[in-house]
Amino acid sequence: MSVSLSARSIVKRYGGVVALADANLDVQSSETVALIGANGSGKSTLSKIINGVVVLDGGQLLLDGKTVHFSSPQAARKSGISTVFQELSLVPQMTVAENIWLAHEPLKRNGLVDSREVQKRTEELLALFEGTYKAVIRPDATIASLPPDEKQIIEILKAISFDPRLIILDEATASLDSRQVQRLFDLVQQWKQAGKAIIFVSHRMEEIFRIADRYSVLRNGYTVGEGLIKDITEKELVALMVEKATAASVGNRARQSPYQKTNQMLRLEVTDLKTDLLKGVNLQLGDGELLGIGGLKGQGQRDLLLALFGDIPYTGVVNISGEAVHFTHSRQAIQKGVALVPGERTKEGLLYLRSILENLFLPSWNQYGFPLRMRKARSDGQKVVDSLSLKMAGFDEPVSSLSGGNAQKVVIGKWLLRNPKLLLLDDPTKGVDVGTKAEFYKLLEKLCEQGTAILFYSSDDEELLGLCDRVLVMHDGIIRSELRGESLTRSNLIAASLGASDGRVE
Amino acid sequence: MKKINWQSFAFQRPYLFTLFLLFLAVVVNFIFQPNLFDRSTLNSNMRVFLPSIFLAAGQAVVLIGGGIDISVGSIVSIVNALLATQLGTEASPEKTALWLGIALVMGMLCGAVNGFFTAYLRLQPIITTYATSFLFAGIALYILPSPGGGIPGAISSFYREATPLGLPLAFYIIFLILLGWIFIRKTRYGRYLFAVGGQPDAAYETAVPVNSIQFSTYVISGLMAALAGIAISLLTSSGNAEIGDQLTLASVSAVVIGGTALRGGIGGVAGPVIGAIILGLIKNIISFANVDLWWQTFVNAAIIVLALAAPGIINLVRRKRP
Repeated sequence: MSVSLSARSIVKRYGGVVALADANLDVQSSETVALIGANGSGKSTLSKIINGVVVLDGGQLLLDGKTVHFSSPQAARKSGISTVFQELSLVPQMTVAENIWLAHEPLKRNGLVDSREVQKRTEELLALFEGTYKAVIRPDATIASLPPDEKQIIEILKAISFDPRLIILDEATASLDSRQVQRLFDLVQQWKQAGKAIIFVSHRMEEIFRIADRYSVLRNGYTVGEGLIKDITEKELVALMVEKATAASVGNRARQSPYQKTNQMLRLEVTDLKTDLLKGVNLQLGDGELLGIGGLKGQGQRDLLLALFGDIPYTGVVNISGEAVHFTHSRQAIQKGVALVPGERTKEGLLYLRSILENLFLPSWNQYGFPLRMRKARSDGQKVVDSLSLKMAGFDEPVSSLSGGNAQKVVIGKWLLRNPKLLLLDDPTKGVDVGTKAEFYKLLEKLCEQGTAILFYSSDDEELLGLCDRVLVMHDGIIRSELRGESLTRSNLIAASLGASDGRVE
Repeated sequence: MKKINWQSFAFQRPYLFTLFLLFLAVVVNFIFQPNLFDRSTLNSNMRVFLPSIFLAAGQAVVLIGGGIDISVGSIVSIVNALLATQLGTEASPEKTALWLGIALVMGMLCGAVNGFFTAYLRLQPIITTYATSFLFAGIALYILPSPGGGIPGAISSFYREATPLGLPLAFYIIFLILLGWIFIRKTRYGRYLFAVGGQPDAAYETAVPVNSIQFSTYVISGLMAALAGIAISLLTSSGNAEIGDQLTLASVSAVVIGGTALRGGIGGVAGPVIGAIILGLIKNIISFANVDLWWQTFVNAAIIVLALAAPGIINLVRRKRP
């Protein structure tokens, strides 16, 4: 098996917006190329051009030296190009097996789907990640019933199910835990030996240096650097990705030692909180404290935040500012000074097609009278925009015109306008570029100094280690251990994530 | 926000609910009509239900594919108007066969119009087919401005009276519909259908021909509507360009009580077929109970509204509980 793909001077416009101006990428058999860039730099667009989901406006795509023109995903797939999509290309109502084999089902001689063969080959594929599942995945389980990490694995298995020559992994590790990532990387090595080519799109520097042979950096639609991974350092790579000024601040800023603070006032006290997933959570959070929540994916972290925000039903005692509360609607939570920055900003955090101004003020309009005092709103909004250094063309532009990092700033900004006392963050930096992350960390520090209590769930261990005063590690619906000061180390965090503290490693 | 998993609930147990309703409807109907299971009663019931059964099956395919077709009643009207005017009571068997064929093509053409607008031009299915329903209704009225016309007696009485091996003709047709559906489910087309209805973007990225699949569901629905039109023409032996008006709503309710989700990507055809039978029985009960017939429309509409509201109501109740 040999393959070579070369994208030359790719141009793609969406309306007036230029997504790609001069994008280049070369990849060959038996190598992994990391496609790197900040959010909005065009990585996703470039991978979608290579896999035929998006049609290019200019430039050339060469496959095995010959110009190809993919007008649809079918065409790219026929040429052996396969993709693990960042947003997953799975149909939730269908089963694992149906999803994996969709559009290339093994057929019997009479043209009907060979369900026995499908079953058999699905089990073979599932075995590739054996031992990393929470429970045995049956080929006839519906996708909707799986946790996010296992959905991600199914997406990976689906991509390799037709033995592609070129595999695009678009943020494929974002929802995986460390064991699953390791398994994926072992597979990538096997694919390389088998002569496949891999394009690895990721934000995680550590993974890029572990797995990639070469890199290609995109910035604002231009390819600004290509080369061998062994010839470059993480710092240099980051500097390539980020426009000059912010590059300096990214380095170690986020990885400072934990804060040494005394709790002034107990802002949040939770006793025996239970939901479908949570089996009794206790925690205390003081003003000005940044409390991290860690652990493997899907251990109830999200449920905890949603319950505190009144979004899902729960039992247990919740005290906010010393007052017992039981929210049944997020409105009540907002009135008590609680804010939630949701993880899936496209679905839960933003009205994509509405303007930035409308999005920012959605929770706050009731403070602007009737009729609305627009001038005051705009000046208040401008302050928040400045403090977040949000890059936008104007307040009246739709949020959809912003890049991912800037869109996330709008989500945070709309809560800052309400001066929250308790800020709940649900993996806010997932899929956000390094530059924005650094700004975000600074913002969190500032908020803490101002006395905001922050409950911060993150799937990125580095963030928890570098930023948080304390970290609560969740496992299977309970808080397995609390790490602080000396005990807040990477190895403790990982051990506790796996449930090791009482010997229950899965 | 966490939602109660109504989808998987409906996915796992749609038939229980549908069969329970069927049982209930049969029992109540039996009380009013003790000879319900006599061969002639059974046959006369089934031949009346058959048009709705065709429509429910077609509607189910469209709904599974993520669309909706509310022009089916008007397609029935076109076919009925066409047959009643073109055949008359004296048509030869050859001519009859020809026009039955034309009727089927006509139905598929109407479906193709719907499919073109919704799949290729990406217009909203509910609005598009609402609009085309008036277009088709207008064509039907143009063909047959006032009720009249006729159908050759031989074929009409065959439809009404044939009971091969003692079972109503409709049973065999239902059997064929279900057989066809089972076949479709086992083909790649069947997988595409569910994928397109469930998550069109994911299907597109997986190289499923999304547009063609959506288009095809409307053609199938049009074909089933034409078959319904033929059945209703044979049943009534006459033409009425407004005969299909009442059937559209029932076709959607039949699918709903058959356990197929209005959101697409879930369900089957067997449930909707049973749903159509249940609605027919309810209609019987209403007429036996000497209740105005408009209650039938009320029941159909109430079923749809309830089906749309149920997940929300359950969620609401769940949230209020401390």
